[in-house]
Amino acid sequence: MRALLLLAALAACSKSEEFSGGDGTKAALASPTEGPADDGARADVIEAWTKGGLSPSPLTPAQVPVGKDCRTGTVNAVDVLLCVFPSSAEAKAAEDAGLGWVGDTTGTSQAYGKVLVAAADRRKSDPSGRTINQMMKLAPR
Amino acid sequence: MRSILLAIVVAGAALALPADAGRSKQVRFVGLHPVPKSEGGGICYIEGPHVHIYGANKLEYRDHRGHQHFVGDPVAYGYDGPKHAYKGHHPIKVNVVVGTPEEDVEFCYLDGPHYHYFEPYEGPDFELRGDAYFYVGEPGPVYVQARPAMVKVNAIYEPIVYTRPIVEVEPPAAWIGVRFGGPAVVVAPAPAVEVRGPAARVEVVAPSVRVVVPPPPAIRVEAGIGINVGVGVGVGGGGKVKYKRGKAKRRGW
Repeated sequence: MRALLLLAALAACSKSEEFSGGDGTKAALASPTEGPADDGARADVIEAWTKGGLSPSPLTPAQVPVGKDCRTGTVNAVDVLLCVFPSSAEAKAAEDAGLGWVGDTTGTSQAYGKVLVAAADRRKSDPSGRTINQMMKLAPR
Repeated sequence: MRSILLAIVVAGAALALPADAGRSKQVRFVGLHPVPKSEGGGICYIEGPHVHIYGANKLEYRDHRGHQHFVGDPVAYGYDGPKHAYKGHHPIKVNVVVGTPEEDVEFCYLDGPHYHYFEPYEGPDFELRGDAYFYVGEPGPVYVQARPAMVKVNAIYEPIVYTRPIVEVEPPAAWIGVRFGGPAVVVAPAPAVEVRGPAARVEVVAPSVRVVVPPPPAIRVEAGIGINVGVGVGVGGGGKVKYKRGKAKRRGW
């Protein structure tokens, strides 16, 4: 609930920046998978999933109260959030915030080096958890 | 301008909420476990830490660092992965199963042959006979104290029809089922004895008065004795563990 309200607040801020002519975050997030703090760690996770037979969708920037450099997408219809942090300690510290993003559904939030990987089965498309389990086991540490 | 003001109000409302407002229903699990029938049944195969919005019972789960860890028999719920046969009660080092550093020893109180998805920890506490693990270590007082309550887990599995391991070997002499083979009997404290006699009755029968003397007081003893019979020891002759195809109703061991 808190995450949704903060999202709404941030969305309102972004909109006001556009009207005022600010550069927003578009330039910084121009790359489809990498943000300003990303040194390829997020791409490594995506590559590991793809090689493991999973089907990750393209990621889009996400403004969530988990981290400053986050992107969302899906993997086999499971919602995923990948946030890159300056250090692995910061990624680890954000695991609880990742569970907040998961919300009232089955999911997980784990740090893999500097990348926080959160998964949420909001569509009930992974009732046995096998997809989420595979994602977490394939993500490089 | 209006957008900025709205953003400030909304952000303020969000910050006023507790930090975990969005995940108040989450229950943390670690390791695979059954899914309640109300949620579709079957098995959740997520091995690492994860959350669901349903709970865990205290007989089949143990708390490990705030996460519920399943210590029951997953095959009973449809688990189709690698499995290991045990017979009788035994400890589980949950930290070894889930890969955390701090030791956390819990006990499985399932009677007779059953499965887990994990092997026992290394060391002399377990003996492998006939493809089944027998606990031959020293359980300690925690096991004994918790046993009367925890053996109730067997009532959960009693009506479940599924393929159990068939163990037809002689158990080791040091097997826990030999040393603690009797039923887990719960005896209530000594009953309270209450002695009450009826009061004397006085009957007035005109024109005379007759005093009726009551019989001697009756002693009423109130006591409650609960007996939990949770352990059956049945040992057959030699042979290996058989994994019967198809379902077979439990007939004891």
